[in-house]
Amino acid sequence: MISLLLSTELKNLWREKLITWVVVISCACAIIAFFSGFNHSQQQQKVIQQAQIEQTMAINKAAEGLEERLLKTKDIKWWQDQYDFRGQAFYLMVNYASKPPLPTSPIATGQSDVLPYFFKMLVKEKQNIIHQYDYQHPLKLMLGQFDLSFVIIYILPLLIIAVCFNALSQERQQGQLRLMLLQGANIKTLINMQILLRASLVVGPFLIISIFLLVTQQIGISLSQIASYILIVISYTIFWLAISVWVISKGNTVANNAAKLMTIWLLLVIVLPAAINTSINQLYPTPSRLHYLDELRHSADEAKKASEKTLAAFFQDHPELANQSKPADFALKKIASINAIEKSMAHLDQVFEQAKNTQQTVADNFKFLSPATLVQTQLVSLAGNDLLRHHAFMKNVERHHSELQVFFSREIAKANENNDFSPCSGCSAKATLKDLSTVPQFDSKFKTQTINLWSILALFILSLSIWLYSQKQIVRIAQPQQSGVLV
Amino acid sequence: MLTLALKKEWVDAKRQGQLSWLLGIAALLLLVACLSSWQSHSQYVADQQAVSESERSRWLNQGDKGPHSAAHYGTYVMKPASPLSLLDAGLQDYQGNVIRLEAHTRNNALFRPIQDTLSIARFGQLSPAFVLQVLLPLLVVLIGFGLVATEREQGTLKQLLAMGVSPARLFFSKTLMLFTIASALLIPVALSILIFNTIELRAGLFLGVYLLYVLIWCLLTVAISSLANSARKALIILLSLWVFTSLLLPKLAMYYATTANPVISSQAFESRLKSDVYTPEREQAIFEFKQQTLAHYKVSTTDQLPFNWGGAQLQFGEQYADKKFDLLFAERNNQLQYQSNTYQQLGILSPFIALQTLSMGLAATDFKHHLHFAAEAEKQRRLIQQTLNFNQRDNAHKTTGHYKAGVELWQKIPTFNYQSPSFSQLYQQYMPSFLNLLAWLVALTVLCAFTLKKIKREEQR
Repeated sequence: MISLLLSTELKNLWREKLITWVVVISCACAIIAFFSGFNHSQQQQKVIQQAQIEQTMAINKAAEGLEERLLKTKDIKWWQDQYDFRGQAFYLMVNYASKPPLPTSPIATGQSDVLPYFFKMLVKEKQNIIHQYDYQHPLKLMLGQFDLSFVIIYILPLLIIAVCFNALSQERQQGQLRLMLLQGANIKTLINMQILLRASLVVGPFLIISIFLLVTQQIGISLSQIASYILIVISYTIFWLAISVWVISKGNTVANNAAKLMTIWLLLVIVLPAAINTSINQLYPTPSRLHYLDELRHSADEAKKASEKTLAAFFQDHPELANQSKPADFALKKIASINAIEKSMAHLDQVFEQAKNTQQTVADNFKFLSPATLVQTQLVSLAGNDLLRHHAFMKNVERHHSELQVFFSREIAKANENNDFSPCSGCSAKATLKDLSTVPQFDSKFKTQTINLWSILALFILSLSIWLYSQKQIVRIAQPQQSGVLV
Repeated sequence: MLTLALKKEWVDAKRQGQLSWLLGIAALLLLVACLSSWQSHSQYVADQQAVSESERSRWLNQGDKGPHSAAHYGTYVMKPASPLSLLDAGLQDYQGNVIRLEAHTRNNALFRPIQDTLSIARFGQLSPAFVLQVLLPLLVVLIGFGLVATEREQGTLKQLLAMGVSPARLFFSKTLMLFTIASALLIPVALSILIFNTIELRAGLFLGVYLLYVLIWCLLTVAISSLANSARKALIILLSLWVFTSLLLPKLAMYYATTANPVISSQAFESRLKSDVYTPEREQAIFEFKQQTLAHYKVSTTDQLPFNWGGAQLQFGEQYADKKFDLLFAERNNQLQYQSNTYQQLGILSPFIALQTLSMGLAATDFKHHLHFAAEAEKQRRLIQQTLNFNQRDNAHKTTGHYKAGVELWQKIPTFNYQSPSFSQLYQQYMPSFLNLLAWLVALTVLCAFTLKKIKREEQR
């Protein structure tokens, strides 16, 4: 019986042009979305590689020109001299901190297009470094990427609705259901078979194409990552199938089913996530960046006003630099001032971090209100474009920034003590930094989050519950059909 | 007859329970959107004013110092919020609203609010523009998909035509009823404009383009409802059109625009800002300028010049760098402008794109207005550098360069009072979008004429 129903359903679907269109759209979306996400991650990869090349070239170029520089003793401005610790620290250093995209990155862009993924490091206030960003058309950022996560979250449910909304209802409206039931078909089997078959025609090609592209285009993607991807897509699909069965089980007309399913999609995918986002921003706002800037300027003024105190405080924190017979160099005073500004801004940075953490906690709790937000969180984590990985990156950037400060403070103090900055009256400074490769390099290894299986399980259980409940309801549709025949 | 037909449509619509709850939900969303937008807007306006004043006072009270020290001390300018940004914040959160003005460097805008948000932010913000551009057409579709198709399915269409109702009147009354309901949601927008706005031309046009957008969707909905064989088919076609024009096409259009006209990465751009400016050619240009100056004053060393050479050289260096900045920024801005234009042209395929472009343009929150702000900020930066460098040239010690300026000099730098350009200056740039909306209207008028013929045939069947 099942095979008969299956072949009838397949024939019916084949006759309907809609299903062909839906399959074509599903395949086209998979291809376009993959390449859109892929191009984005490739772009980032290219920029990072370019930065690394620039960094290596700077080291090599300095090594090549060292001999010539050692022969020069006059007319060298320290701020233009790549062999001077001070020039390197404040102006000339080519030292990048970068966050390379993961092989899974094309799946979901997340915030990776708006958050910085590389920083050109210099010895200056941390606050003036971490706000750099890669310049892109702001409209592109506002519209977001047409990536796989967009297709999965927005388009797949629509395609599922498009093929499933008339399941069973059409047969019922056309009077075919009665005939089928008379021939011994089970209504539960019928709806389940219809829904699963139709959904597989939409999701199947999408999954096959996207996985094929991910595996063939991205080197290093693991089997567990592919499995996670499939698990997320299947769970989300099952949710929308369960919703479709639930709406159909109400026994309304085909048009009514379509309207209801569209309204549910609209609420769960468009309105609710936007409402959650708006609520979080309104109820737990991050402090004003304009006031942050005001505070930063104020701190800089205060640090400069109290330069002697600032220097004293700096030496208290760095006693190894304090034992000098000569007065501190201007550069060391500058680093001390940078240090003081960073310290005075620390509380405000913490306020921002706390506000963001609160927002994240609230968002994590509210994500269960909509399957779209839940699935987005998981896809973005799988792609490595989540905030947790970004925070880990930022922690490394801060650590690297401190390492650079310590390195340059120590070396500048040493050079000052050795009279390297003014070896004789009228002479230029000596070449103090002879090997650029001794400058600390950024460690781009940091933690990557895995997907939260419990969230996916919760979605799966919810979907299953809706499905099972709808199965009970659907039996009611069969009763009048059967009793009608008996009468 | 028309009033009667309208009354009938209203009663029909009311009978279908969905009208009241759909309108209720839309009105509620719009209300929430307006309130949250108003709160963010007023907060930003207050912060921008307070910090701008603080920054000005910081500049004036920076104390006595060398003019070049003041040039490095620099200042920050903040973009004021336009009154219509309350309704359409556009790209405000994506392009940064603060620019640092300092010596030797032209900076990008800082502190993009989007960088302080979570991943969920990509689902969008419940703003008035979001409700009106994305949700309002959907409301029109959900209310209107069955207006004619259901009549046909129930057989009442034939009856109405047999009673002597002309197809045109029937079509017009249904469209008018739908337009009236949908336009009612623009009342809060009109009220907001009346209460908060002072820019009459922009505000009038803003409301006008939204009315045009609503009319397009109403005509489209009634036309499809008349052409489709069933309400179900009408709904599917209309929803597909909505998804395609409001969700898919904008992303695909921007993807195409940015892929066809890629911009240089910031890493490469920043590197070029340094490598293109600080070159041996620059050293040579400074040398030549020095020789020319010495020759002009008929002296052999800079110490013999009647002014401080350092100040003159600084200004020459600034002007040299400015030319390079102009080239580099123009190159990048042109690419970005191509992207905007390509996106705008694709508005012929989607009324959403056309409306979004016009709405942001009228609200002064789009990229063109941002570029205008950045250009004005750059003018201010150059004015500051020139004033300070010339002051150094004219007042500093000729040989040692020692000199400290005070508040009199800082006061010579005018306060940066940014004014958005008037819309009449920019209207030509938005013409393609306006024409795209008109093209949709014309195409729909043709479709409606075709639809009327189909309804007429219904009577004869």
